[in-house]
Amino acid sequence: MNVIVYLGAGLMLLFGVYAVMEHSILRAAIGLALSSASLSVLLYVLGAHLAALFELSVCSGLVTVIFIAGISLSHSPKMEIQKEYRDKERNRLLPLVLIGVGLLLVILALTLNLQTPELAQLTQDDDVRDVLWGNRQADIWGQIALILCGGVAVAVLFREERREKK
Amino acid sequence: MTILSICAHGFIYGPILVVLIYNLFNHEFARKHFFWFAGTGAVWQILAAIGGFTALNQNGQTSYAFGAFWDIRLAGAAFFELNATRFLLLLIVGLVALISVLVAHQTVDFNRSSYTNLLMILVLGMNGMLLVTDLFSLYVFLEVTGLCCFIMIAMFRSRADLEGSFKYLILSELSGIFILTAIAFLMMKTGSLRYADLAGLGQRISAGSGQLEDLLVYAALILLISGFAIKTGVVPFHSWLPDAYQSADTAVSILLSGAVNKVAGVYGLMIVMQLFGDVAPVGPSLAAVGIISIIIGALLAVRQPQYKRVVAYSSVSQMGYILLALSTGTTLGLVAALAHILSHTAFKSTLFTNAAALQEQTGTLELKDLGGLENQMPVTAFTSIIAFLSTAGIPPTAGFWSKILIILALWQAGSPVLAGVALVAGILSSAYLIRLQRTVFFGQTRPELAKVREVRGSVLTAEVLLTVITLGLGLLYPYILLLLHAGGIL
Repeated sequence: MNVIVYLGAGLMLLFGVYAVMEHSILRAAIGLALSSASLSVLLYVLGAHLAALFELSVCSGLVTVIFIAGISLSHSPKMEIQKEYRDKERNRLLPLVLIGVGLLLVILALTLNLQTPELAQLTQDDDVRDVLWGNRQADIWGQIALILCGGVAVAVLFREERREKK
Repeated sequence: MTILSICAHGFIYGPILVVLIYNLFNHEFARKHFFWFAGTGAVWQILAAIGGFTALNQNGQTSYAFGAFWDIRLAGAAFFELNATRFLLLLIVGLVALISVLVAHQTVDFNRSSYTNLLMILVLGMNGMLLVTDLFSLYVFLEVTGLCCFIMIAMFRSRADLEGSFKYLILSELSGIFILTAIAFLMMKTGSLRYADLAGLGQRISAGSGQLEDLLVYAALILLISGFAIKTGVVPFHSWLPDAYQSADTAVSILLSGAVNKVAGVYGLMIVMQLFGDVAPVGPSLAAVGIISIIIGALLAVRQPQYKRVVAYSSVSQMGYILLALSTGTTLGLVAALAHILSHTAFKSTLFTNAAALQEQTGTLELKDLGGLENQMPVTAFTSIIAFLSTAGIPPTAGFWSKILIILALWQAGSPVLAGVALVAGILSSAYLIRLQRTVFFGQTRPELAKVREVRGSVLTAEVLLTVITLGLGLLYPYILLLLHAGGIL
């Protein structure tokens, strides 16, 4: 079990760093999807099955589709980050910083022994329907607002695209 | 179904209904008439806040709990709660939205539909933050407001817009990570994130054993304060604020300054104080951040070359006053903080509306290109002076009374030194505002500005409305002080 947890966390971090460092936006989006898929495995192994399902379908699936659709609509022919930004010296140190932060978080988690009985109890006992419609009703409104906001954001980008083509 | 129930549910359903109805119309019609849709949403928010508060008082209740989907008699269905503080902040959200719509009517052109949709979703996000009774739900709605603001700043797609929105996005996400990590720590510690369950936690920590578990909660507190401080834009978390305010359209800057940093930032810190105010480091931390912000914000404002940047740094400074009031942890401190939030909303929105007027009429906000507009733009000059007097805390404006309340709260809480510093720091506010007024409105009129005329239409209406509020509140405050005295708070 522990091996899968650490492997999942490591892959998530690795793909995350790849997504940040990659010059091609398309490959970066794929890196993000893989990072998200690793998180799904992690969530599943830790017992949060519903969260794993949402993460895999929404974050790893839907969001990637939206990103790739957005990139394909972009007028940039190579879909690559501009050279002036690519050659920045500080970028070379960024993976080390990110990996360092990741390791620090792992050490913190191990030191503080973060898994608690209350959390484990919650995931085992509560019915998904009760959690979603009973305990977290307010969050559903937040989700509705986020979806509306995402929709408007996409609409803004699409309209801009049409305007620029004219 | 009572008036209170209609008003309470209206805060959730109102903005969503406006978005849904607005998008039923064809694009050109919606773009042309955006003012009426967005304006209706904003006016509804104001009426619901006033009507709901009146109904709550008439019922003799101090709070009202409700669920959005079904009756709260069902177990676990009361996810939202209203009280006097929340009503005031909801009113501020409505007022700022209305002013933003009035300004947008003249400043926003091809993106009107997106502006209307985003404004209503932003209002929903802020309403959600103010209504929820659970820390995680607060985070969800915080993300809604953050995402809306990011898109609204970037909406006009200039290089400056994108740079400002990128800075906002990075720091906003950093704030989100801090808050989410803190929430996870608190969840591990307590197993619940409801305010009611967390309320007693501070006392337990104060008398704690100093073991690692306590360290976890202390870490959560530091992360929560830092996360909400970033959203507030106080020093040293202020780097995003001037760029975002400057690059965004003025209608968006008004929203950011008037409502978003108060609801997403200050209100979050209010919740931290409410839940953990009895833990020793929380109050002094807020006081330290507050006093540094007041001084550094004012000093930085003096040196800025652009109108909106001066006003932005002034916001950093004024947010410091609000944190200083909150840091006392007393009822008077909370009242003073709320009073200054209301005053700040009025005078800072006036200054931003003045910026919209100047931008519209002169085409620039660079201070070196402005000068001697007093005669050409008399109403803008007058409203700007009233806003300046209020910012500096000079009577008979709202800012004078709210700053007096802050100083009294600090004095009452046994912090005369902080009260003295807050008093003296008012001189710094005067310094940057006198420079601003002198450069823009007084002195010799620049030849290229000789043909400039006073702004008309909705921007002028917004300027006058805000000035009436600033002066009206200034005249009303003595009665509020009497009420506080009668209630034993003062």
